[in-house]
Amino acid sequence: MSQQKVAIVGAGPAGLQAAATLVSLGVSVEIFERNGSPGGHLKQWHALFPHFQNATHALNPLLNGVKGITMHLGSKVSEISHNGNTWRLLSDDGLKYESDAVLLTTGFNLFDASRKEEYGYGVYPGVVTSAQLEEMFNGQRPWPFDKSLAAPKIGFVHCVGSRDVKCGNRFCSKVCCVTAVKQAIEIRKRFSDSAVTCFYMDLRMYGLGFEELYHEAQVNHQVQFIRGRLSEASPAVSGKIQVKAEDTLMGRPLKLTLDMLVLMVGMEPAVKLTAQNNHLALGKPGFGDGFMADRELNTPEYLQVTPGLFVAGACKGPASLPDTIQDAKAVSVDVYNFLKTKS
Amino acid sequence: MINFGYTASESRHIDMDERLHPAIEKMLHREPSLKECIACGRCAAVCTAGYFTGMQFYRLNLMAHRGLINEMKQAARACMLCGKCQMTCPKGVNIRHGVLLMSQITDVLDV
Ligand SMILES: Cc1cc2nc3c(=O)[nH]c(=O)nc-3n(C[C@H](O)[C@H](O)[C@H](O)COP(=O)(O)OP(=O)(O)OC[C@H]3O[C@@H](n4cnc5c(N)ncnc54)[C@H](O)[C@@H]3O)c2cc1C
Ligand code: SF4
Ligand code: SF4
Ligand code: SF4
Repeated sequence: MSQQKVAIVGAGPAGLQAAATLVSLGVSVEIFERNGSPGGHLKQWHALFPHFQNATHALNPLLNGVKGITMHLGSKVSEISHNGNTWRLLSDDGLKYESDAVLLTTGFNLFDASRKEEYGYGVYPGVVTSAQLEEMFNGQRPWPFDKSLAAPKIGFVHCVGSRDVKCGNRFCSKVCCVTAVKQAIEIRKRFSDSAVTCFYMDLRMYGLGFEELYHEAQVNHQVQFIRGRLSEASPAVSGKIQVKAEDTLMGRPLKLTLDMLVLMVGMEPAVKLTAQNNHLALGKPGFGDGFMADRELNTPEYLQVTPGLFVAGACKGPASLPDTIQDAKAVSVDVYNFLKTKS
Repeated sequence: MINFGYTASESRHIDMDERLHPAIEKMLHREPSLKECIACGRCAAVCTAGYFTGMQFYRLNLMAHRGLINEMKQAARACMLCGKCQMTCPKGVNIRHGVLLMSQITDVLDV
């Protein structure tokens, strides 16, 4: 097979893994990434569930795998089109690239927590997101409470922006339950006299080692789990936050004063594909727009008119890092087989 | 009968072998969103009446699904139909219509 070319959109874990796999199969690839550096969301995380693996240790092999591959950073792809067998990619910075296939690995955006106004994100400094908490663990963001505080009280709200028709997101974001459990344990380790409470609707410990982590949180770290969705957060004395919820197992309303409230923000798709004749625009998703797997790419007619377009990773729906890596490898083989039929 | 000095209490079992009361079936048909409730409790946490009366919509809805029609009807009377719960429900349940049907169940939906 002569060297065929694939354009990869997005240099998150999915895009990096796919690039390395395709190159190992003899395909030439170029990567386009809207940010100034590769790594996607993985580069923001501190330690990974369920074994507290250092996130940098997970990212480094992915970065090493793409050494020597052309990567266009700060290059946001806004449009792709195809003419016969050739794909043409256009980025916001005016870059054009022609290839035999396109692989979209555009991943997800974090849910904008200020949309759930009743939690006061962006209004009360003590209300933060799960992603910001990772930055605090990494030392890249100050704690919103005095670190010398003897016994900080910290709460986690599950399902923020997920499983919620009022936000247009019916789906479950899949990784936030176990992320909350992981972060709760990290807080307990860092602040030994802290009290941590998780407010959940269902605890989705789907992966191997997740249920065990939940057990560890309860037994070894005294994390409290309360089944009930928070109704509101309001300011209390000296920067504290008062939260209200229904304790659905007790069947009684509950209130609690906290030093920090962590919102487990869900995932939303990063791009929405819109087809116009032979070109596809990569635009901003609107209210209720789902992920790619349950949207455009599910319709067979759509795939038929666009042979050579592939998607991998969390742009198809919420996924953990191992899921993303596996999917990127599998889709790379699909891409390879497609190229083989063409050569 | 010999009196042993104690009385037997009524069984607390919820009898799931019984067919759901036809009026409840009708109600779920009239307001199908009731079936979407996941008992997260937000409706109760914001409820204007709940603070003092123990009005908990999700519990009424559970009673409906377990066939506890009399308890449900009785408890539904505490609702003031203000609709606060409905604004906050993540599943988009039409709570006000649901409680209205519950409170009048044997009057308007009897079969
Ligand atoms: C709070 C939180 C904690 C998590 N912790 C863990 C954990 O501990 N363990 C674990 O296994 N998983 C964890 N995950 C999940 C993990 O982050 C994802 O599985 C992973 O990031 C998915 O990789 P991806 O490449 O598909 O998407 P992303 O990481 O989102 O990467 C997509 C890339 O595409 C780029 N892009 C998007 N649109 C364009 C465009 N138009 N043009 C060019 N580039 C574009 C983006 O800038 C980004 O760099 C966590 C998720 C969250 C939300
Ligand atoms: S994983 Fe847990 S916190 Fe996240 S959306 Fe699903 S149920 Fe909610
Ligand atoms: S808020 Fe909606 S989903 Fe939650 S318990 Fe109440 S009715 Fe059910
Ligand atoms: S409509 Fe009824 S159940 Fe809902 S908040 Fe008002 S009083 Fe409570």
